Formats: sequence, C-alpha cells, structure tokens
Amino acid sequence: MNFLTILNPGLAWQALPTILKGLVLTLSLTAICGSLSLILGILIALARRSNHRVLKICIGAYVQLFRSTPLMLQLVYIYFALPFIGIRIPALLSGILGLTLHYSAYLCEVYRGAIEGVPRGQWDAAAALGMRNRVIMARVILPQAIRMIIPALTNYMVALLKDTSLVSVITIQEMMFRGQIFAAQTYDYFTVYTVVFFFYFAVGFPGIKLVDYLEKKMKRGYAERSVITDEPSVNIPVGNEND
Amino acid sequence: MIELVGISKQFGEDLVLKDISLTIATGEVLGIIGPSGSGKSTLLRCINNLEIPTEGEIKIDGKLAYRSEDGKNFSETDVSLTRSKVGMVFQHFNLFPHMTVLQNVCAGPRYVLKMSEEQYRDDAIAILASVGLAEKRDQYPEQLSGGQQQRVAIARALAMKPEAMLFDEVTSALDPELVGEVLAVLRQLADEGMTMGVVTHEMGFVRQVADRVIFMADGRIVEENSPGEFFDHPKHDRTKAFLSSVLSHEKSND
Repeated sequence: MNFLTILNPGLAWQALPTILKGLVLTLSLTAICGSLSLILGILIALARRSNHRVLKICIGAYVQLFRSTPLMLQLVYIYFALPFIGIRIPALLSGILGLTLHYSAYLCEVYRGAIEGVPRGQWDAAAALGMRNRVIMARVILPQAIRMIIPALTNYMVALLKDTSLVSVITIQEMMFRGQIFAAQTYDYFTVYTVVFFFYFAVGFPGIKLVDYLEKKMKRGYAERSVITDEPSVNIPVGNEND
Repeated sequence: MIELVGISKQFGEDLVLKDISLTIATGEVLGIIGPSGSGKSTLLRCINNLEIPTEGEIKIDGKLAYRSEDGKNFSETDVSLTRSKVGMVFQHFNLFPHMTVLQNVCAGPRYVLKMSEEQYRDDAIAILASVGLAEKRDQYPEQLSGGQQQRVAIARALAMKPEAMLFDEVTSALDPELVGEVLAVLRQLADEGMTMGVVTHEMGFVRQVADRVIFMADGRIVEENSPGEFFDHPKHDRTKAFLSSVLSHEKSND
C-alpha cells in the first residue's frame, strides 16, 4: 500500500479529460433539474393549497411517494420498468425527470412550510387594502416566504449536485459514470475516484459556504441589503413584543 | 355610512357576535370599547369582510357588502371592492417588511387600483407627510419605532382614499410613550371628517374624540351613548364595573 494506490498522478492526468466532460454534464443536470424543481416546487405548493379536492389528493400522493422512496429506485423504475408498460423515455430525459420529480417533492414541502410561516397579519393587511388572493400571494406572501428559505433551497441544490451521481445507474454519462468506465478500463479504481471525489468537493464546498453566507445574510434585516438608505442602519426595537 | 343589521358571527361552537345592529354615520367617530373577548375586533373585521358574518347584513354607502339580495356570497372581486373602500389598521401594524415605507403606502394604489407610478407617487408622499413621516420613506419598517410603524400603517390605508377607517386597538402594542403620536394622527383624521370606527382601551381618547360610544360584552352591545353621558352616567352594571376597573387602573398609572 502506498500513496500511488489512492492517487497515481500519471493516470489521474489521463483520466482528466473524460472526467471533465462528465463534470460538464453533472453541472448541466444540476442547473436544469435545479431550476425546474425550484419552479415546479412553488407551483405544486400552491396547487396543494387550492380547494380542488382531487387535485389535492393527487399531489399529496405524488409528494408522499417521491419523498418516501429512494431516488435510485425511482430512476431505475422510470428508465427500466416503464418500458414494460409501453412508456419509453430516453436515458437523459429519464434522469432529468427522476431528479426533477424527486426534488420538486421535497422543495414543495419547503415552500409550503415557508408560506404557512408568513404571519396571518400579512394576509389581513393585504386583504384589507382590497388585494385579491393571487396578488397577495405574489406580492406579499411569496417574497417574504422565499427569502426565509433561500439558504434551505441552496442547500437542496448542493444535495442535488451530489445526487446527480445516481443517474449513472441509468447509463447517463455524467462524472460518476465516466469515472466508473475509466476505472474499469484501467483496473485502478482509487485514482479515478479520488479525482471524481475532488471535483465534487471543488463544486460542493463553495456551495455549502454559500449556504452559510446566505443564512447569516437572511438573519439580518431587509434594510441591510438595500442600497437606498444612506445612513447606516441600526436595529431599533419595533415595539411589538406583546405578540 | 356603514349600516349593520342583525349581525351574528359564529366560530365553530362559539357565538362571538349576537344580533348586532349598528350604524356609523358619515363623518362620525364611533368608539367601541369593552373587555377582551367581547367581540369588538370581530365586529370590525366583519365590516371589512375579513370575517363573513354568519347572519345579518352590512351596507356600506347603501350597498350590500358581502352578500347579494338572494343570499349568495359575493365574488372575490366584489369583496375586494368593499375592502378597498374601508381602510383598516391593526394592533400589530402588519406592515409589509420587504417593502420600504413608501412602497408600503403605495401598495394599495399599485396592486389594487392598478394605477401607474406617476399617478400615485406624489399622493403617497403627501399622505406620508400628513402623518409626519415623509423623511422616512426609503427606510424599511424594521428601522422604525412602533409608533412610526403604526403611522405608516395608517398612511397605507389612507392611500386607498377610503370612505371610512377602522382602527383595531392600534395603540395596544405600543410602548406607552409612543401612544400619543398615533392618537394625534387619529385625532387629525377625525377633525378632517373621516368616518371612523375605533376599538380601543384609551378611554381619554374616546371621551375627547368620539361622537358616540358603544360598550360591548359577550358579543352584544350593552350600552350606547354620547361620550359625556357614557363616562359620567353609565347605566348598566356591566358598564359601571368595566369603567371603574379601567379608569382606576388609568389613574394608578398617572
């Protein structure tokens, strides 16, 4: 056993081009599925609040199903099992579909919690002005709700980045898959995996630091992110401690 | 003019309002007092359709507020229209924290009346100036004191040019030294002839500013009179007990 077993520099250098290609797909998958889930999550959260009973039950079933089963199995079923009932979806599309449905189910719950977390008084005040429900949601509730959960959402994006490695089981050639193929050809698993490991860390770690930064930023008030105020803001107690 | 006829409101098993009939004339200031849980706030919320009464009807300037002649509930549009005519200010201000002071005041004209910015901006600034906060317009609510926040909340409601204003214990959440600045704004509105329904525990204010007082207990109007008569010669035992406990408390605070 020596260091070369874990990381053989010559081999790592040879593996680099193919792994970088995989990284591009990994990042693309994260960006595509991330954007789709962020949007779909809100839409599902809003639909879940509607008064339409059938819609509510269907969405509830979907959310529970995708939250209570492993992502890898979901991917396997979408790609390998659906063809048996006549639904054939190409690998890449299956991967995007699986990741998006899985993460939308989680994000929907995050959004829902945040929407419910906005104080009732905000609805009252907006309604008392005469705003309609959709306007209240768009202009008053969602801006506050989303701000609260920006760190959580970012955290899920980092988790998504790592979970894209699971689509390797359905033959999508992202970073993990390419690493595996290269390793199988050279019989040197550790070197390739170390390189892959490094790249996930190189992207994931800044993501995690971003979560920390956003958490601190959101704890401060609305005033501090604004550039309009010329005087340094101080936190004046707001006098509603009777809540 | 606001007319309430036979209003009842039930929450589950609880009958919170019992057959309330009441009129607030145009330009009148009605003081609504009573112990907590007596239904005062629910009454105000019914006027503004934030609660829909279980029974009875409400007319604002002669028009039914929430239910048509044949008993059908109004659409969201109709309810929104009623609310836009009656301003409401809350105990906990409920300013929109993600908007600046000026954006808060502009929220109604912008998102309800769908006016363009040049149409409402000058007006909003003037209203903000009338509550003495023009220079705070680019700050966020969290940067203001409670009294200032409440004045912004009043300005926000006034920006809709309401036909009447409802005040729901607007000084109860304030530090004592900040109560005066908010009451001064209410007084100014009363002097300008605004139709007002004021739920409050500030007896001094009611005595000086209100045209008429109602005392509520257990969901009913127990007594109704001019402020002078009401405070000096209360008729019902319930009123007497309430006044003596509240007024002795006020004295001990002095």
